[in-house]
Amino acid sequence: MTPDPAPHGAAAVVEAAPLPTVRRRPFTLQAVGRGAVPYLLVAPVVVAIVAILGYPLFKLVTLSFQEYGLPQLIQRHGEWVGLANYRSVLSDPVFWDTLVRTLVFTAANVLLTMVLGTLIALLLVRLSTPIRILLMTGLVLVWSMPAVVAVQVWFWITNYQNGVLNYVLTEMHVGDFFQHDWYSSPFSQLAMVTALIVWGAIPFVTVSVYAGLAQVPGELVEAAQIDGASPLRVFRDVTFPILKPILLILTSLSIIWDFGVFTQPYLLIGASHVDASNYLMGVYVYIEGYAHSEFGRGAAISILMLLIVAVMSVFYVRRMVRMEETG
Amino acid sequence: MRARIIGAVVLVGAALAVVASTASGGTQAANSITVWLQTDAQATNWEPIVKAANAAFQKDHPGVAVNVQYQTWGNHLQKLDASLAGGSAPDVIEMGNTEMTKYMAAGAFQDLTSDKASIPNSSTWLDGLAASGRYGGKLYGVPYYAGSRVITYRTDLFKKAGLKVPTSLAQFAANAKKLAAQNKQKGFSPVYIAGEDWYVAMSFVYDFGGSIATQVSGKWKGTLASPRSIAGLTAFKNFWTTASRARKTADENTPPGYDVYKQGLAASMTGQAWYSCCVGDQFKTVTAQFVMPSHVKGQPMPGFLGGSDLAVPVGGNKALGVDWIKAYTSTASMTSLRAIGNIPNTTSLLGNTVNERAAKKSWFVPTAKNWVNVENGNILRNMLAQILQGRLTVKQAAQSASDNITSVLNG
Repeated sequence: MTPDPAPHGAAAVVEAAPLPTVRRRPFTLQAVGRGAVPYLLVAPVVVAIVAILGYPLFKLVTLSFQEYGLPQLIQRHGEWVGLANYRSVLSDPVFWDTLVRTLVFTAANVLLTMVLGTLIALLLVRLSTPIRILLMTGLVLVWSMPAVVAVQVWFWITNYQNGVLNYVLTEMHVGDFFQHDWYSSPFSQLAMVTALIVWGAIPFVTVSVYAGLAQVPGELVEAAQIDGASPLRVFRDVTFPILKPILLILTSLSIIWDFGVFTQPYLLIGASHVDASNYLMGVYVYIEGYAHSEFGRGAAISILMLLIVAVMSVFYVRRMVRMEETG
Repeated sequence: MRARIIGAVVLVGAALAVVASTASGGTQAANSITVWLQTDAQATNWEPIVKAANAAFQKDHPGVAVNVQYQTWGNHLQKLDASLAGGSAPDVIEMGNTEMTKYMAAGAFQDLTSDKASIPNSSTWLDGLAASGRYGGKLYGVPYYAGSRVITYRTDLFKKAGLKVPTSLAQFAANAKKLAAQNKQKGFSPVYIAGEDWYVAMSFVYDFGGSIATQVSGKWKGTLASPRSIAGLTAFKNFWTTASRARKTADENTPPGYDVYKQGLAASMTGQAWYSCCVGDQFKTVTAQFVMPSHVKGQPMPGFLGGSDLAVPVGGNKALGVDWIKAYTSTASMTSLRAIGNIPNTTSLLGNTVNERAAKKSWFVPTAKNWVNVENGNILRNMLAQILQGRLTVKQAAQSASDNITSVLNG
């Protein structure tokens, strides 16, 4: 839209003149070239995404419609079986148990991560600079620790025979924790995984929320305080609405990460202890797909996981978009 | 629309590129063969045996290089899968005996039946090991070596308690009680057995005449809930409760028994014969081994016979691969393997070491193509944890595991 240079009074004259039907660009090679430029510029990205993401995804979808086990892998030729893989997965009680367990696990992990992460961010604002730097350094160190290393450290801390946690709890007379087994039941196994994941995820949430808190205008908080609002009220009516977009993004990212988590549960529970009573979706798809060499079935589970995550994300993305529009 | 067409073109292009790259693999120069052995054979006392076999092979095949690549147990199957899919499988591969059936059933190996007669000692192969290389009446795996599980114990503690090597399970349990009374350290195990060590638990099952699963007219059926299997599992529970202070949910590798033993927290432990390597310097001179006794006095308890086979994957050079296997499993080679503590693949070389005595009475996992799924689904471990923690009765836990096994083996 170019601004109309004609003075207001000239409008009638313009209207009287014969209308140039539609303003269409002349179809010249030059114009085509100009039109192609944006596509050319975006092409490398599109090619890279298609090659890295699109092709494997396409393969995954076709694989999920095939019987593809070890014999097919050796002959390098799958057999088309239509929806058989999906039927077999959806009629498997282990799938539904695992799905429900994973949803509860995800909810618990995301909730704990968001609440603790936000609380620590709020704490950071109120701390003196040296303490804040100390805490921030600690958080960044946690953040920078690779999951595999973190698992080893946790494993050592909670070790049955020589774990420092059992030692400290016993020495502090909390109770007799000598040879206490922190992984004795599926619930306690998943509770340990939750502790590890929440611990590892807090820094990202805290740092992001802390950055978001910088956007909360001090005068608003001050005004609310002068009006006699309690700290809780200030948070609910002043701080929270401003943080809301950040919290929504963090929540949806956390959901995506925690729903598909693999490294922590597989390594902390251990290859010799993961079974149908403690599977999370990520572990389940690995065992079904790779350990059992049922690549077609594994692909079907992956596609179902993708759909579930997509549905959950759509919910948040829509809310986010709506929020952008209104405010 | 245009974007979609561009996308489609790119997609096809990418697909073609990938197809082209996979199709180019798989060509193999005939002047070399590739052999995958486990890293065990990289040990300083073991590698010379491999080198000697290579030299013997090259005497018959001058100019053919032998490329030995060492693999680890943890990921060699994933690597094999990838190489089979890419058409670049090795010419000879070492397989664990419990890993064989799945791959034989899938058609991953070449049929060696017609070569059997020409392979050294093939008429005197160890039964337990040879069984793991056969499928559907054909030979796919040549027995390589075996290792059995024994009891490693502290002679000083046994002597102090006035105990002899037990000749029955009941006597061993009585020994355990005496040892516990004399050694009051927290966490001390008279006989360290990890709670979920299913190799030990299943030995009890087979000792009482039970089994894991049997094949009835082509269908597999879990048999852990049979009266004899239940008797075995109950005996395991009782013995374990008396003798072991290990974690009920521990597997036999985390921690390995010798780590506990090394700390002086065990009077004895179950495990492979080579566990004697790692008992710690302070106990080296007071450590000996015996074969786990049966509940029948004077008999050994059947033990799990671990071991390896050598196979030629599809796509490998069969003629050269088999010739290399012949060189590596020759009588000379087997004599050397025995000298470093392994059980040779032939009964003609068997002596009277504790390792070999234990191997004489052994059991093996069901040779079902889906057996691996029972192992990596941890069905037996989960059952043992339930039994030892008392979450379920022996009968309930065995019934549920048995049903699970039936469905996995037939799935």
